[in-house]
Amino acid sequence: MSLYSWFMALARSPLGHAMQTSRWGFAVVEMVHLLGLALLGGSVLIVDLRLLGVILKGESAITLGRDASRLLMGSLTVMVLSGIALLSEESGKCYYSPAFRWKMALLAAAVVFYFTLHRQALLRVQSGKPTFWPRIAAVVSLLLWLSVGVAGRAIGLL
Amino acid sequence: MLFLQHFCEMLYQSSFGTMLRESNYAFSVIESVHVLSITLLVGTIAVLDLRMLGLILRPISVSSLARSVLPLSWSGFAVSVASGFLLFWAEAAKMYVNPGFRTKMVLLVLAGFNALVFHTTIYRRAQEWERQHISPLRARVTALASLALWGGVIIAGRAIAYF
Repeated sequence: MSLYSWFMALARSPLGHAMQTSRWGFAVVEMVHLLGLALLGGSVLIVDLRLLGVILKGESAITLGRDASRLLMGSLTVMVLSGIALLSEESGKCYYSPAFRWKMALLAAAVVFYFTLHRQALLRVQSGKPTFWPRIAAVVSLLLWLSVGVAGRAIGLL
Repeated sequence: MLFLQHFCEMLYQSSFGTMLRESNYAFSVIESVHVLSITLLVGTIAVLDLRMLGLILRPISVSSLARSVLPLSWSGFAVSVASGFLLFWAEAAKMYVNPGFRTKMVLLVLAGFNALVFHTTIYRRAQEWERQHISPLRARVTALASLALWGGVIIAGRAIAYF
C-alpha cells in the first residue's frame, strides 16, 4: 500500500469521519494539541538550558534529564495522538502540503536526536559544568523542536 | 463598557489595525510568535507546578527551580502580551464581542491573581518546605489552580478563532 492510500484510509476511517462532520471536534483536538505543546516546550527548555549552563547549574543533569524525559514522552504521546486526529480531518491536503512534510521530517530528526546524541550529552555533563559538545547538542535540540513548531504553524497558512 | 467598545472600534478602524488585518503575512507571523511565547510562559510555569505537586524533579528544591524558571515565564509573558496586543489591535471590534476572547481575559486575570496569592502567602515561607518532595497542601492547591487556569487560557485562546 502506498503512503497516499494510508492517508486516504485515515480520512475514510471512523475517526476521520467523526472529525470531518463534528462542529467542534477539530477545535477541541487542536486545543489538546496546544496543551501538549506547552508541556513539551517546558520539558525541552529546562533540559537544554541546563545543558547550556543557563539554569540549575548545581543540579544533576541526569536527574533533570530523566524527569524531563517523562514529561516529554507524556506530552509527545498526547501530541502524536491528537495530531493523528487532526490529520484525519484533512489528510488529503496534508499529504501534498510542503509544511506538513517538513514538520514530519523535522519531528523524526528531533526525536532521533533526542534519544541519541542529546542523551549522550546529558550523560557527559552529569553534574559537572557544561562543555562544548553538550552546549552544541542543546542548541541543535532547541532549533529542531522550534522548527517542528514553526513548520506545524505553517501547515494552516501555506 | 461603552467606553471600552468605542476604544475597540477606534483601534479596529485605525490605519495600523487595518494594515495588520489586511496583511498577508504580518498577522500570521505575529500569531506564531504569540503561540511560541505562550508555550514558553505556560510550559515553564507547568514545570514548577508539577514539581510542587511532587510529580517531577523531586530532588530539586522548589525555590531554586522557581528562581531558574520564573525569569523564563516572565519573558514569555512579556512577549505574549506584546504580540497579543498587536493581534487584538487588528481585530479589536470583533474581539470585544467574542466569547472566546472574553473568557480568555477573565482566566488570565484569575491566573494572575492565583500567582499573586501564591507569591504573597505560602511562597514567602518557602524555605520551610522547599526541600519537601511534595509541597504543602496550600501550595499544591495553587499549583493545580495554575495548571487549570493557564490551560484554560490556551483553550479559550484557541476558541477565539471559532466564534
